[in-house]
Amino acid sequence: MERGAHLFGQQLINGLVTGSTYALIALGYTMVYGVLQLINFAHGEIYMVGAFTGLLLVTQANLPFPLALLLAMAITALLGVTIEFIAYRPLRRSSRLSVLISAIGMSIFVQNVALWVWGPQTRRFLPPFPVHTFTVAGLRTNTLELLTLFVALVMMLGLHLLVTRTKLGKAMRAVAQDRETAALMGINVNRTIAFTFAIGSSLAAAAGVMVGMLFNAVVPNMGVMPGLKGFVAAVLGGIGSIPGAMVGGLVLGMAEVLGVALLSSQWRDAIAFAILILVLLYRPSGLLGRRTQEKV
Amino acid sequence: MLDWADGLLRSFINPYYYGVLVTIGINIILALSLNLVTGFTGQLHLGHAAFMAIGAYTAGLLATKAGTGFWAAVLAAGLMAAVAGVIVGLPTLRLRGDYLAIATLGFGEIVRITLLNLDITGGPFGLRGIPRQTNLPIVILAVIFTFLVLRSLVNSRMGRALIAIREDEVAAQTMGIDTTRLKVTSFTVAAFFAGIAGALFAYWFRYLNPSSFGFMVSIELLAMVVFGGLGNLLGSVVGASVMTYLPELLRTVAPAIAERRLVFYGALLVIIMILRPNGLLGTSSEQGWLEIWLARRRSRSPATTSAASGQVPPASTGGAGHGPA
Amino acid sequence: MKGLGYPRVRFGSRLAFGVGLAAVLAALLIMGSGLALAQQTVVIGMLGPLSGDYATYGVSVANGVELAINEANASGKYSYRFVLRKEDTRGDQVQALNAINKLIELDRVTAIVGAVLSGETLTAGPIAQDAGVPFITPSATAPAVSEIGDYEFRNVITDDMQAAQMAEYAVKNLGLRRFAILYANNDYGLALRRAFEAGVRAHGGQVVAVESYLDGDSNFSAQLTNIAAQNPEALYIGGYYTEAAKIAQQAALQGLKVRLMGADGFDSPELINLGGAAVEGALFTSGFYNGTQDPLAAEFVRKYEAAYGSKPDMFAANAYDSARIIIEAIQAVGPNRAAVRDWIANVKDFPGVTGLTTFAENGDAVKPLYILRVENGQFVQER
Repeated sequence: MERGAHLFGQQLINGLVTGSTYALIALGYTMVYGVLQLINFAHGEIYMVGAFTGLLLVTQANLPFPLALLLAMAITALLGVTIEFIAYRPLRRSSRLSVLISAIGMSIFVQNVALWVWGPQTRRFLPPFPVHTFTVAGLRTNTLELLTLFVALVMMLGLHLLVTRTKLGKAMRAVAQDRETAALMGINVNRTIAFTFAIGSSLAAAAGVMVGMLFNAVVPNMGVMPGLKGFVAAVLGGIGSIPGAMVGGLVLGMAEVLGVALLSSQWRDAIAFAILILVLLYRPSGLLGRRTQEKV
Repeated sequence: MLDWADGLLRSFINPYYYGVLVTIGINIILALSLNLVTGFTGQLHLGHAAFMAIGAYTAGLLATKAGTGFWAAVLAAGLMAAVAGVIVGLPTLRLRGDYLAIATLGFGEIVRITLLNLDITGGPFGLRGIPRQTNLPIVILAVIFTFLVLRSLVNSRMGRALIAIREDEVAAQTMGIDTTRLKVTSFTVAAFFAGIAGALFAYWFRYLNPSSFGFMVSIELLAMVVFGGLGNLLGSVVGASVMTYLPELLRTVAPAIAERRLVFYGALLVIIMILRPNGLLGTSSEQGWLEIWLARRRSRSPATTSAASGQVPPASTGGAGHGPA
Repeated sequence: MKGLGYPRVRFGSRLAFGVGLAAVLAALLIMGSGLALAQQTVVIGMLGPLSGDYATYGVSVANGVELAINEANASGKYSYRFVLRKEDTRGDQVQALNAINKLIELDRVTAIVGAVLSGETLTAGPIAQDAGVPFITPSATAPAVSEIGDYEFRNVITDDMQAAQMAEYAVKNLGLRRFAILYANNDYGLALRRAFEAGVRAHGGQVVAVESYLDGDSNFSAQLTNIAAQNPEALYIGGYYTEAAKIAQQAALQGLKVRLMGADGFDSPELINLGGAAVEGALFTSGFYNGTQDPLAAEFVRKYEAAYGSKPDMFAANAYDSARIIIEAIQAVGPNRAAVRDWIANVKDFPGVTGLTTFAENGDAVKPLYILRVENGQFVQER
């Protein structure tokens, strides 16, 4: 019994850490969706490029970690804005289908260019700071895991404040509600959307750097599965809702880990997608999302 | 009769090109059926490879475990995939377009993981020992059959209703079209033909492995449909033929490009959506930058030019899309 | 007809035609008199993933085959000129089928080294079997491969054999009793898992935990926590080096102190490169050891390194040996597919860089298996 409780506790920690990696990715997804109602399929690839940029800045340019992280976020923000400019902006008036296909095309393109440039081999990403392992009440964790969780929380709070307390946030919400009216009110819609992509992409970069270090692995296809699961987390929490992304990420992480602990590790990835389909069917607005009527 | 035709074809087609033609034919059936859902009905479906997998494994299992004959197994494969299409389509097609995309993607992954974890399918070892009974005349017949059925379907009353859904789902609904029922029907028909294609695949390759039905297969099929033209059946025939044969051609001419083909597929999807969202031969009312530019060049008078400028995608002003936003 | 390897002749003028005809006649005369000026060309095929996620394995195989063919052509000892045709499968079934059809029907290969992965071998193999083209796979280890037919040969030690020998060594020689298994949910991982589990039980050990992952996974925390709860002495990883290195590191972070073990999927310098200190002491089975003292193998390592800038792995070594067996067969019996098959089937103790090679009745090579250990960032021979 004692050992069972201990095992369960350790798995909850695993779930929390796994969940915070999904939450990090889900935050950027949910923000872009909230403003544009667009699934940015390339988000997982932006996350991958962020991880590579961070890795190269740390190992090749020998920058101190905080600087490397900020710079990786800035460079990746630029990539996000470029992607928006090339693949989405020309399609503002097109059908949803066209935009989705363009998004998928962009995702495939970025991933395969990365494969071309950086090769298929996994690279290691050793944290440029010492990692301490410690035990609390018999449960193990380490500074890297705690840092990942901490970064996810800070970003969620920062993003929440940005959206609710700043002028830019106000503009974003206005654009999200009604693009035409927002434009009539003197909001520069294109600039607001570009900012949204910049922020979403820099969040993805931070996620990429943190997860790359956490698992000590950076590789061109690293964005595919986490990208999908980040989206599942965003939908689960209520897409468009910032606290929802966090909650969705953590719930998904827990569900997966408990699936492995109680059922079988063979079905882990199927669990995430089964949750996705169930949520879409029974509560499409997600755990924290508001029910919205489709506009005509 | 079919055997005689096969003998004739084999007598003058090199077996390598014969094999390439069979894969082209199977891809044409898949692209045609995906076009019904994505091109005509306007629903982005990212799990078509899963229906193919269900068909392939159904035929493979019937052939190896039950000793079912070829035609019965092919029909069963189509029906099995169609049943899966109803089961998946009924709940998910109520969802708005972009949720559908992600739900079908999730469905595709679930099917692949299930095939990987079941014992009867051989799991990761795959399913072996399927006899080779697919041949070129059978594939050609299947392509013609698929094409004719889908053509009469899209030209029917139902076809026009599907196109109405694609153009404006909310308007279609207000006009009294039962959009969910029609979407499910189109999804089911597409699944049926994907299942048939899967069965032909099984009887041609003789060995099935879950890794042959991954997400990238669905994406390549989508690229074929988009390239050929959304909402044009002939376009899918052209798209599937070109995009299946091109890597083979590049194999001898420029293997370096063949290796990087996904880079070009990705770029192609983006460029086509921007310049000509209808692909080579598409039919939807949507215009891309290329058409708008051409239209502007054609209309010389300044009055029409200013009128047409309202159509230009707003690079600087922004505005709501014409779809539900 | 581009790229088919046939010279194109344009009879631009009568003069050229006349000269050409005279040259052909002269050539025939010379050949007839036994003074062959130009050697007859024989095409050998190579089939495997040269791009995509599995390209590392395919490229190693291609390099090994290429080295053997270049050596043979340069040596002047052979009556034929060997030409290599490499075809890319991208690790994909559809591509594998088209590629082998092309090798057989357009390039008219006499024999093939390949395919590399088990899945593509199970697709392409039956085509070669039906066409009567002998092929040697240097790396497809799935048990079913040997059932393809009598034109199939496998110059690699099977998963079953590798896992069984490691299990025996771990229980009998190392005295370990409690084992955990973490395997990749693919044909390679599952075959290793089954054979290792059976082997451990047969020798009186205990398998206390079995977990799986999917190729490309990065997060193994939940599986490792389950494993740690059972207190195993050793962890057998049925998978490739990338995941093995990540698993080793996460196990170390979780405080899981176990002996790591695996099969030839570990056999790459990348294991040490990625895994660092966490893979120290890891044991694995492999058919080739690139630090060997054996003069033939050491010479191969030196030549390979000079040509490709890196040490050969097991894939390259098996491919090199396979190509040499095919070359010797053609030299002995001529470029006749059936005769080449018979020669390969009857080969006895072929001196390869991976040891003396003989093919059993089912086409599987019988040859020595090394157990290697990671020590101070190097592979050393444990057995």
